[in-house]
Amino acid sequence: MRIILAGLGVVGKSLVRLLHERSDELFKEYSIRPRIVAISDLSGSAIDTRGLDLKRVLDVKEKSGSISGYNKEVASLDTNELIEKTEAEVFVDATPTNVRDGEPGMTYLKHAMKFHKNVISVNKGPLALALPALTELAELNHIKLRFSGTVGGGTPMLEFGKRCLEGDHIVSIRGILNGTTNFMLTQMEEQGLSFDNALNLAKKKGYAEAEPSLDVDGIDAAAKLVIMANLVMGKKVTMKNVEVQGIRRVTPHDFVKAAKKGSTIRLIASVSDKLVVKPTEISIHDPLAVSGVLNAVTFTSKFAGDLTVVGAGAGGYETASAILRDMLDINESLVVAARN
Amino acid sequence: MRLIMKFGGSSVDSASELRQVSELVKSHSQKNQIIVVVSALRGVTDSLLASCEKAEGGDKASAKKYVQDLSDKHINLVRSATTDKKSLNSVEKKIRTLIKDLEKLLLGVSYLGETTARSRDQILSYGERLSVQVLHSVLKDQKIKSVCLTGAEAGILTDSNFGEATPLMNVTKHQVTEILVPYLDKGVVPIVTGFIAGNQDHVVTTLGRGGSDYTATILASSVDADEVWFWTDVDGLMTADPRLIGEAKTILDISFREAMEMTIFGAKAMHPRALEPAMHAKIPVRIRNTFNPSNKGTLVQLSQSVKPVDIVKAVVLVKDVAVINLVGTGMVGKPGTIARIFDVLAKGGINVLMISQTVSEANVSLAIKRQDLDNAINSLETALLGSGSILEISGENDVSVIAVVGAGMKGTRGVAARVFQCVSEAKVNVRIIAQGSSELNISFVVKEKEAKRAVRAIHGEFLAH
Repeated sequence: MRIILAGLGVVGKSLVRLLHERSDELFKEYSIRPRIVAISDLSGSAIDTRGLDLKRVLDVKEKSGSISGYNKEVASLDTNELIEKTEAEVFVDATPTNVRDGEPGMTYLKHAMKFHKNVISVNKGPLALALPALTELAELNHIKLRFSGTVGGGTPMLEFGKRCLEGDHIVSIRGILNGTTNFMLTQMEEQGLSFDNALNLAKKKGYAEAEPSLDVDGIDAAAKLVIMANLVMGKKVTMKNVEVQGIRRVTPHDFVKAAKKGSTIRLIASVSDKLVVKPTEISIHDPLAVSGVLNAVTFTSKFAGDLTVVGAGAGGYETASAILRDMLDINESLVVAARN
Repeated sequence: MRLIMKFGGSSVDSASELRQVSELVKSHSQKNQIIVVVSALRGVTDSLLASCEKAEGGDKASAKKYVQDLSDKHINLVRSATTDKKSLNSVEKKIRTLIKDLEKLLLGVSYLGETTARSRDQILSYGERLSVQVLHSVLKDQKIKSVCLTGAEAGILTDSNFGEATPLMNVTKHQVTEILVPYLDKGVVPIVTGFIAGNQDHVVTTLGRGGSDYTATILASSVDADEVWFWTDVDGLMTADPRLIGEAKTILDISFREAMEMTIFGAKAMHPRALEPAMHAKIPVRIRNTFNPSNKGTLVQLSQSVKPVDIVKAVVLVKDVAVINLVGTGMVGKPGTIARIFDVLAKGGINVLMISQTVSEANVSLAIKRQDLDNAINSLETALLGSGSILEISGENDVSVIAVVGAGMKGTRGVAARVFQCVSEAKVNVRIIAQGSSELNISFVVKEKEAKRAVRAIHGEFLAH
């Protein structure tokens, strides 16, 4: 399997490291030899049609901060050119999330599908803005579009809802889809920190970005909710359909008040008739009342009842493992196609 | 309200008609957001198709003459309908550029001596590309802020089934919303070419004949419009063909499914799938007369909103029909015979309008278009005679189909009895009958010369009150 990777940030690097470290194991257990044939980052690209030397990729990136130094003799191509000119089965989009217009990921995804490449995206932006449209393009071009890593990081939340509950009818989904805000809320609850202090602590621990709006204003959770609603419940919705409220106005005092009622406050993303993200009082016995950077999702199904999945919601290695799951899934269909 | 207004070729054919159209757009755009969809001028799509065929035969001279005539036709129309000199110059320039491109295409075809569905779509698209320019300049003359877009530029994406492309509705909705809504919010009227769109490689595709209606409903469902108005040259859908039945009336209120039955039977030349997007998005469609705008026309909407007044909504006479009879006791109890018949017809590209078979299985009758009859009989004879199962194949080309349409027939007992009673009182013999389980439509075949009598009798029985 030949792979084009766009984006060499935390997730992209983790994927390279994962494929490098586990290549023997992947071959032994799954008979698969994933080869990354091209990588692009902000400054340039590297190509080797026989597979890049992943160790060197990491070294070059580590030393120069960019991949463009990998092969000096070859002119650097932009990502769209890589997609057009490189033979590959899979395109992985690990570029940063942008929920305004989804770019540059949106263009990459459309382009990759047009050139009949299977697509794995861990970039939430394009999916949250246009998942029904992207799904339709995938069908048109007879390729697979997979995005396990967008929700729950390494925790298989999408697959759980989609595959493990197949045949049942999912009535609603409620969940904590953003680890950063859950960490902050837990700090406010347990340590009595103010919003600002909780945010500073989250930044110090590396959970929150310098520009934390995506997390604290509920946008990241909303994007994940849209993806779940589309995939698991078959709803054709986008970001526009979500009512969003972040955690900026939550105070430690709110937790004191809630505690008297045996409750706590979490940033709950829910979908039944409407899609809503907002700080919500829930019972401390609710399985969603998790602490720290954890994510949790409760699927309410018509026949199997309430089922809750809890796990780490982010992290480079965790998300890279979700990409690997998608790769194995795509590989299966490639194998079937090759044998027929 | 957010409105889609589609103007057919008959509404943009002369200066006075164009002024009427711009009046309509102007008066409605004061309180509403409007997207205009426009067809090619009357007859232009057909003439493009004909010129394409001629060019295929290598005829360069007539290609050159044709584009000159087409250029004159559009430029004369713009000159007679526009007063502003400056805008006149710019639109003439645009028309000449388009015509030059078209000429190159036609000459290309004449050198190659062949067309494909893909190149044909490219050539056919010039009808609408030219007509939007004309309408654009007239709207500009009326000080209406507007912008010209092809279907593809407006965001309609289709598959690559040239000649009969299918829109990808989710991608289209996403793109159209991003492209057109900002114009609407600024009070600009987008004028979009009907009929033509594009695939993901930016190659021109067409939606099939009558596709402008389809364009209108695709856009409507994409921008969540409140209504779609098809402006045409009649008051709406009629209870019967007014040339046949003097007292035929406009149908005020009709469900999507009833209207689809009628359009399929040719009551109005509309794309068979044109109503689908509107029906799915629950957007009412109004069919109105450009030259009689005070008339509200026919409102097509969801069946639950239609008041159940009439059992029968309309009687449609389908002319130019032929019947094929296949007889043979060898068909009895032999699975697959019907499949073979349809297989032969499908391979010959022949569409079957109506099917009837009795329980004895010794006789199958099919109604098809009359122009297909000779080919159909020839193919069936070649493939099936001598196989033992079919002994005789015969055709009749002096027949018509009459379709009685109405959702109120469902579950109402005695409708069929009343239909055939009055037909028999009119001394018309019924040859073949078909009614689907939807009960929306009873179709039957009669002799052509008796058909008008039958239509009159049914109209008198159900609709003259």
